[in-house]
Amino acid sequence: MKGLVKFCYRKIIDRNASSAWDKMVFEDTYKEYFMQAQQFDQLKQYNTFRELLEKEPKADRMHNLVSTAAIGYLRQLNGLIPEVTNTSGKLFLPFSNFRFELLQSHIKDKSQHKVVIYFYSDHMVWLDTIDRFMLLANSNQTEALEASEEVETELLEIVPNLSISSVKHIHSTVTY
Amino acid sequence: MKRNDFIKRLGMSSVIIPVLASCNIKDGPTPITEETSTDTTDSSGSATEDSCTITNTETAGPFPTKNPSSLEHVDIRSDRTGVDLDVEITILNGNDSCSPLEGAIVDIWHCDKDGYYSEYGGTGMQSINFTSVHFLRGRQVTDSNGKVGFTTIFPGWYNGRATHIHVHIYDKNGNSLLVTQIAFPEGSDSAVAVVNAATAYGYTKGMSGYTYNSKDNVFSDGVATELSTISGSLSDGFSLTHSIVVNG
Repeated sequence: MKGLVKFCYRKIIDRNASSAWDKMVFEDTYKEYFMQAQQFDQLKQYNTFRELLEKEPKADRMHNLVSTAAIGYLRQLNGLIPEVTNTSGKLFLPFSNFRFELLQSHIKDKSQHKVVIYFYSDHMVWLDTIDRFMLLANSNQTEALEASEEVETELLEIVPNLSISSVKHIHSTVTY
Repeated sequence: MKRNDFIKRLGMSSVIIPVLASCNIKDGPTPITEETSTDTTDSSGSATEDSCTITNTETAGPFPTKNPSSLEHVDIRSDRTGVDLDVEITILNGNDSCSPLEGAIVDIWHCDKDGYYSEYGGTGMQSINFTSVHFLRGRQVTDSNGKVGFTTIFPGWYNGRATHIHVHIYDKNGNSLLVTQIAFPEGSDSAVAVVNAATAYGYTKGMSGYTYNSKDNVFSDGVATELSTISGSLSDGFSLTHSIVVNG
């Protein structure tokens, strides 16, 4: 057992959104951006998010305010990070934490709207590395592993935009 | 490849494929099936190929449905505790003899009993849990009487500000009509004084150091159009009513 790791998957959503989920997040976060930006710029003087931030530092709240339009969609994911699959093509990485960031937007040009969602996985037990794959188990299996019981595992390849955001060493007497 | 070898391999694959297929039902497609089919179709294995089509992955997850903003709640308390407060706001159209404005979008937000706002902490760069991400923020659309209602708790206060509720009113297309704040009546028997003394409900600040409306940098120019009406009691909860006139 190498340790407990958390993965972070970075998903950009912009005008190229193609899946239904992506399109809804794009449309609804843009609408929310348009609405909330007016709180900081009632005269609509600043077209882009960058200009707004520069002129109205309080507009850094916009990340959180606009995320309210995405949360309903995040809740539809059944607690699994999208697009990151095991070697069988199945979603499996559990998540409950995320971070939403506005990269750019424009109150008169939706095509410039661009957001990023960082999905942070729950702890996973990193058992071993096989070729370019990581052998993982859910962290709720730690006790079973310690008791030398058989546990289900997942094999994961690190793909673009997927990284490991934290690691925690486990003192284990189990050898494989 | 010798014919015997080929038949042997076909025989092997005919055993392997059903096993893998049953695996597929449970665990989804595996790259192994693809490799097997490649191995066995180098002469005329189209039938094998057809029966060995990779099952579609399900990476899209559950089919998404249109979801309203998570702000759209009548009860905006979330995990916050305090004295109950019903807020009823009426939006009137100043461009139409102050008749009720139907279909206006009304956002409200205010601090909790300790003076903290949802989502204003830190740099906003920390990750947050998607199951409980904000409190005391809500959005409703006005009815034919121009009214929206929220169930919340009585706001506390923080240094430098009188008790207040933020309101942002938009037309039905999301164009801002007005950003304003609702002020609270003051006085020794006012709801503000009673609630902030209510330690049994978790309000611990009292009124010492409170910024009154006349000293408040937002309300000090007068609260004639911003002052709400409040009735009720600690045990029954309070009701706030207020009318806001916009250029609808």
